[in-house]
Amino acid sequence: MRVEGLSGGCAPGMRVEGLSGGYAPGSDALTGVGFALEAGTIAAVLGPNGGGKTTLFRALLGELPVQRGLVELEGRPAYVPQTDRTRLDFPVSALDVVLMGAYGRTPAWRRIARADRDAARAALDRVGLAAEARRRFGALSGGQRQRILIARALLQDSPLVLLDEPLSGVDAASAARIEQVFEELRAERRVLLVATHDVEQARRWDRVLCVNGEQVAFGPPAETLTTDVLRRTYGPELVVLEGGRRAVAVEHHEH
Amino acid sequence: MQRALLESLLLAGLAGVLGSWIVLRRLAFYTHGVGTAAFPGLVVAGPAGVAPQVAALGAALLYAGGVEGLRRTRRVAQDAATGLVLVGALALGAVLASDVFETGAGVDRLLFGSLVGLSDRDLWLTAGVLAAAAALELGLRRSWLAQGFDPATAQALGTRPRIADALLLAAVAAAAVVALDAVGALLVTAVLVIPAATVRLVAGSVATLQLGTAALAAVEGVAGLWIAYELNVGPGPATAVLGGAVFAVVAALRRPA
Repeated sequence: MRVEGLSGGCAPGMRVEGLSGGYAPGSDALTGVGFALEAGTIAAVLGPNGGGKTTLFRALLGELPVQRGLVELEGRPAYVPQTDRTRLDFPVSALDVVLMGAYGRTPAWRRIARADRDAARAALDRVGLAAEARRRFGALSGGQRQRILIARALLQDSPLVLLDEPLSGVDAASAARIEQVFEELRAERRVLLVATHDVEQARRWDRVLCVNGEQVAFGPPAETLTTDVLRRTYGPELVVLEGGRRAVAVEHHEH
Repeated sequence: MQRALLESLLLAGLAGVLGSWIVLRRLAFYTHGVGTAAFPGLVVAGPAGVAPQVAALGAALLYAGGVEGLRRTRRVAQDAATGLVLVGALALGAVLASDVFETGAGVDRLLFGSLVGLSDRDLWLTAGVLAAAAALELGLRRSWLAQGFDPATAQALGTRPRIADALLLAAVAAAAVVALDAVGALLVTAVLVIPAATVRLVAGSVATLQLGTAALAAVEGVAGLWIAYELNVGPGPATAVLGGAVFAVVAALRRPA
């Protein structure tokens, strides 16, 4: 069951219980997921490629074809994909892309409201790209494109934001800006669920969810990111450095 | 000739609205397939006493269903499924036309079009499909854009991509069917794809692409008619050759140094 719009005695945020599911009956890609995130939380989702991170996001978005368990969300989540999932040859400007964040609340026959246009420009400013509003999306750098997609999620104004490896392969300036926006969103009491391969990055956030076909662990980074948990999460993809003080998951990007 | 001109302009409107999405959404081969698959429907329409557009649409929908059915078995890749059904439809049409039915229209006309003998009903049908396409554009433009640009996020943005895409495919099938009179089963892409592909080389926005495509398709359609009249060839081939030449010129001028 999936419920959007938590109310009453529930703390705002998201709650997942006994979530399992996949893309065809009888073949679950992810099983036994259960966790709760309060408002104002940044949580990392760690796991190998094919470990179920995308499946989890699709379940939270209500797009997983086969799904069991309970998902309670404060509202419809905003989703930020990896920038290479977008069509770079499309004739759309940076502002056009950000304005897509207003599609869900704009009737098809209406123009996008002036307030939303202003909000889109403000979102671009917030990610440091106000000057690039008219530039073609495909002509921007990878880091800039990622910031545009985050600006689009800002315009959606959702209490929950799911981000798929938003810091992978972006330049240092973009990464710094993105992390700054994350902190701002946390201060606004929003929940961010961030899929990442960067174990050290995950240590800086509030919670960590480790998945590898099933939930391996969930909790505060200091308690969760043990070598044993990381080994169960990544298996042979894990490289332990500095005598066990540091662990790195080897990235294998699928293109 | 007046009817032919009007039909060309109506088709130019369809090219502007739907041709742009065909190119942006990479549906050119589907469009070609639908047009070709309509051929056996056109062959049997006369002898069976059915309106050619109805028979063509039926054949086109059977084609789309056949491709989708083969694809869902997961034993045949989508391009192979498209090729199989496409060749099957063309071969079936050829066999029916040569051995089974005496088609009054003539195979050349069915395959390559003729603007001679267009009826008022043909024009009204094209106008109706154009009006329906414009209404769909108004209602689904954002879904088509979001699904084309970023399919992983389209639903999370609040659009309804599955329904919108199904209606886009149906609209393209209907557009291909009403274009058959003018350009024939094999050259539907001359109207619905080539002008949009040409303008796509220079357009900076979807609106520019649509307006530019409608304008170019109108010019190429009217010029194609004139060439067909002067050289006594079918309007489909004349429009296709002209469109191909314009595309080649624009592509050459846009080629990076």
